[in-house]
Amino acid sequence: MTARIPRQDGRARNSAPSPRPAPTGLVAADSRVAVQLTVNGTPVDLHVPPRLTLADALRDRLGLTGTHLGCEHGVCGMCTVLVDGEAARACLLFACQLQDADVVTVEGLGRPDDLHPLQEAFSRRHGLQCGFCTPGFLLSAYDLLTLSPDTPEDKLPEELSGVLCRCTGYRGIVEAVADVSRACPDGIPGPGNCAPRTLLGRLPGNGVRTAAKDSPSSAPADEPDEIRLPPGEPTVAVEISTDVDASPRDVWNVLDDAPLVATCLPGAELTDTLGGDRYRGRARVSLGPVRLQFVGLAHVVERDADSRRLRVLAAGDDPGGGSVRADIRVCVDEDGWTSRITATADVFLAGRVAQFGRSLADDVSAVLFEQFSAALGDAASGTPGTARQQAPSALRMVLSALRRRLARVRRRITSHLTPRRSSER
Amino acid sequence: MKAPPFAYVRPASVAGVVEHLSRDEPDAKILAGGQSLVPVLAMRLARPATIVDINAVEDVPGVERRGGALEVGATVRQRELERHPATAAVPLLRLSMPWIGHREVRSRGTVCGSLAHGDPAAELPAVACCVEAELQIANQQGTRTVPARTFFTSAMTTVLGPAEMLTSVRFPTATAEDGYAFAEISRRHGDYALAGVTVHVRAAGDEILRADMTAFGVSDTPVTWDAREVLRSATGAAGPDTDRRAITTSLMRDTPAIAEQLVTTSGDIHGSRGYRRRLVAALAAQELTLAYLRAVDATQGVP
Repeated sequence: MTARIPRQDGRARNSAPSPRPAPTGLVAADSRVAVQLTVNGTPVDLHVPPRLTLADALRDRLGLTGTHLGCEHGVCGMCTVLVDGEAARACLLFACQLQDADVVTVEGLGRPDDLHPLQEAFSRRHGLQCGFCTPGFLLSAYDLLTLSPDTPEDKLPEELSGVLCRCTGYRGIVEAVADVSRACPDGIPGPGNCAPRTLLGRLPGNGVRTAAKDSPSSAPADEPDEIRLPPGEPTVAVEISTDVDASPRDVWNVLDDAPLVATCLPGAELTDTLGGDRYRGRARVSLGPVRLQFVGLAHVVERDADSRRLRVLAAGDDPGGGSVRADIRVCVDEDGWTSRITATADVFLAGRVAQFGRSLADDVSAVLFEQFSAALGDAASGTPGTARQQAPSALRMVLSALRRRLARVRRRITSHLTPRRSSER
Repeated sequence: MKAPPFAYVRPASVAGVVEHLSRDEPDAKILAGGQSLVPVLAMRLARPATIVDINAVEDVPGVERRGGALEVGATVRQRELERHPATAAVPLLRLSMPWIGHREVRSRGTVCGSLAHGDPAAELPAVACCVEAELQIANQQGTRTVPARTFFTSAMTTVLGPAEMLTSVRFPTATAEDGYAFAEISRRHGDYALAGVTVHVRAAGDEILRADMTAFGVSDTPVTWDAREVLRSATGAAGPDTDRRAITTSLMRDTPAIAEQLVTTSGDIHGSRGYRRRLVAALAAQELTLAYLRAVDATQGVP
């Protein structure tokens, strides 16, 4: 077996036939096929049911929701992506067919601060209104200008007829493509945003079992109880430290006891102990009207009683289409009569939780951690907890998050006037 | 609009494909490009138990010149053939391929897949019938060869058995005496044709040796009509020097009656049977003229 070298340019090979995929044995309908492919320059391993389309795999498994779905039977062209450099309908391809394929979606075409010439032309020529067809048009146009750069302008409407638009009347679209065709007679630049990065699905079941359908003890055989962190930069890197009014030894004893720790996590509940320091659980988070219920897995990968250090990998999926992976390191240090707990976490968010944006995710993590520390302090000192095993109060979370933001704004203003104190984050 | 569950296998050889097809007969389907099959699955019009993906099969040809034919293997995509230099040897492929669906469909759809699917309004089955292509079929007993004109038996039905695989198609290559023409009318570019015709004329000097016109979108299979007599009388005594418009006008006297025989499909919301008959009559006259002129004039023989 040869090493896989991801092709990152999404360029078409002229008239060369597509590479033959490796054969695969019979896979039952309710089983999964392992597929390795490259998506926007990122090598991706998928375990998919045979009937899952490429479009669904991109959107749900990899969180690349720029590929839109319209008719789902090959008529409207919304889901057009590049497969091995050629435009193809992602709803008419099964993901399991794409072993070793090189897929480029609209996310790989350009960056917000460095648009592809086609994207720039669509913007300038008003080639979009609602934007639903735009990803399909961009990749169809990319294919046309790459493989048939000498298409005469009067043939553009016909050549672009594989994608439907219901807003613009097509004129802006055709003008945008004509602009780029004129500006780049020797071919257009390749996709500008292809590089290895974090891709996380929106739906549960991406390696972590959901409890909604399955009973807690019956993990499907093909979904190992392993947590793999996505490559690339985390969405948020959180570093928080807080003082707890208990001795380091007492705090560590709580941290060393997974069921007890679980009772300290706001809204969390331990559902299953798997052995090998692996645990299944759920966590509920309320944030204003937003209710998230994560079902997931935690794995203590390092546990050092002497230096009181703990490293946990965690994975959680929300049935509404959110996914969290985290690499959490906690240490307890002596700080006079009390203990100082420091936690750092690399958090990878995908799906709807990622839409909160970086700063709010940061705030929420901080709020949760404060509540956790307080509960931990209670547990360590033997005081009964107050908010254990309940979802954090919606109102309190929002107020608390807001307060932090206001405080930060205030700090930002005052920091111009006063020297920054070292204790501030 | 998601496909129903199916088992999936991607064998490495024709024998492997045939074995899986016969194991699950008649509930296994071949997947090549999937541009016809997957919509059918998505609409739940078919629920095969097993999908046999042939894209890993090694022992099928690619695009190869073989004697007086261009052989196209089961996994060759339409767009791959479209830009393959060898396609120049079969001018009718060059003429017709751009009409198949859209670029986005041709980049995955295969030539043999289109033939095996046998949609009566599709371009490639008509082209195969018009030029008398031959289809190579593999089964558990071995292989057999079927002429295109007997391959299609009804709408989306061919002589292919449930455990048989179409491994390649051989299109005869053109000579200097051959002329071809292709035209179709569809509501939008990329749609299936309301009606279309594809023509092959072979003329040596004044003698019209062949004049085959295959119409599609008009019946449950492509239908081929031997137009030699009509074309001979239209070109008349003057032969190739007859004025082009005179040939077409003369042909138009005969083609409506022929169209009435050829067009048996009932009308639909997009066009009545009568409308399709008028389309075929007009297209036949126009394209027969064009193919004839291309046949007699070597300089415009190959478009």
